[in-house]
Amino acid sequence: MVEIKLKVNGKSYILEIEEDMRLLDLLREKLGLLGVKEGCSEGECGACTVIMDGKVVNSCLVMAFQAEGSSITTIEGLEKEGEIHPIQQAFIEVGAVQCGYCTPGMILSAKALLDKNPNPTEEEIREGISGNLCRCTGYNKIIQAVEKGKGV
Amino acid sequence: MKKRGRGIGLSFYGTGYGNGFPDASKAKVKLLKDGKVGIYVGGTEVGQGAKTVLSQIGSETLKLPLDKIIFISEDTSLMPDSGTAAASRQTYNTGNAIKIACENFKNRLREAAREQLKLNAIHGLTVEKGEIYLEFFPQKRISFKELSKIYGDDNIEAEGEFIAQTIEMDPETGQGAPYWPYTFNACGVELEVDTITGLVEIERAVFAQDVGRAINPHLVEGQMDGGFAMALGYVLFEDLKLEKGKIYNNKFSKYLIPTAMDMIQIENIIVEEPEYTAPFGAKGIGEPVMIPVGPAILNAIYDAIGVRITELPVTPERLIKAIEEDGKKKEEI
Repeated sequence: MVEIKLKVNGKSYILEIEEDMRLLDLLREKLGLLGVKEGCSEGECGACTVIMDGKVVNSCLVMAFQAEGSSITTIEGLEKEGEIHPIQQAFIEVGAVQCGYCTPGMILSAKALLDKNPNPTEEEIREGISGNLCRCTGYNKIIQAVEKGKGV
Repeated sequence: MKKRGRGIGLSFYGTGYGNGFPDASKAKVKLLKDGKVGIYVGGTEVGQGAKTVLSQIGSETLKLPLDKIIFISEDTSLMPDSGTAAASRQTYNTGNAIKIACENFKNRLREAAREQLKLNAIHGLTVEKGEIYLEFFPQKRISFKELSKIYGDDNIEAEGEFIAQTIEMDPETGQGAPYWPYTFNACGVELEVDTITGLVEIERAVFAQDVGRAINPHLVEGQMDGGFAMALGYVLFEDLKLEKGKIYNNKFSKYLIPTAMDMIQIENIIVEEPEYTAPFGAKGIGEPVMIPVGPAILNAIYDAIGVRITELPVTPERLIKAIEEDGKKKEEI
């Protein structure tokens, strides 16, 4: 067991963890953040995407101890005073959600992109979410939602 | 060398189980306390939008806003069987069952209103916006809320069942009319084939889908985009290595599906030609949206390089091989 300190969704934690624990399991099992989805477990699908110090990572590929001292945002962290984030709102409005399994990761990738580049082109949006697989939507409604979430 | 080509594909598709197989959907509708209405069906929501579209059908039939409807499709202790969320059948089949159940429910409400308003008959009683009133004497009215107070939870309810018309084909001749209804679509693509690398790049795509009536156009477009993307993957790179029942590439690192960078904007055209046996004319499109994409892409490849591809997926290796074989054949002639 090792002890790590980290910040998740703005809250500080000191946690006892197993050395071989993945960040994904820490978030889901230790902190109960079930919006972080496990998909392929090999870094291909992006369902487990979280934002770690401003960068998107696949939490299945990050060991929990590597998160020492970092600040992590999961989909649960986008809510502010009971209001969902404008990107989430845009996803609902344009119909960018079908089965919903990719949605948390997709929204976090979109947020990380817009935080860095507030006015991306369609090509840049496609690239920004290319690490997140979606089998239902064909991506176009998602692109439209990110366009809509720009500059809000 | 890069060569451009254009192709189209057309398809028609029978929704539902078809071929004489019993295809039934049931629905239950109840007046709840606080005057809201519960709709219960076994039409599973798997992301296709069943819950949205079926709620809309209920809302439209009851003339009641969506926020006054509690729609339950995931609790088997409450809901009757509405068949599988398969065969592109929920909108048409379960939609019809809901419409029938809602009409029966409206008659139950009219009966209750007749009793409470001390009327002789239910004729002329209009049900809308959570109220039941006499059309030619609107002072005679009672709300769902008042009725639920008088009758309590669960006392006013109705069921509906829809059994689709399907006919078994003649086993001798293979002739018949196995499905009803059918839905029609057309896809057109423009693409570029790189004859050196074997890569196929879709440049433009147009997709027209007959839906009878688009109950929710956003969701229809979502299905069309999704069907195109899945077909694009199947046609150009998805290749399941299945040998003796074992899948050798059961990982996303070895089985590639399209990412956002592989997709393009699709010019979607929704064709509305209401189907007379359907709820508000609407038909299902879940599966059909994939079908014409493959033929359209293969036709466009033929248009670009004059080579017919007959095996999927059209990977660069296969395409180069097909071009070489075609070249040899032409030399022999």
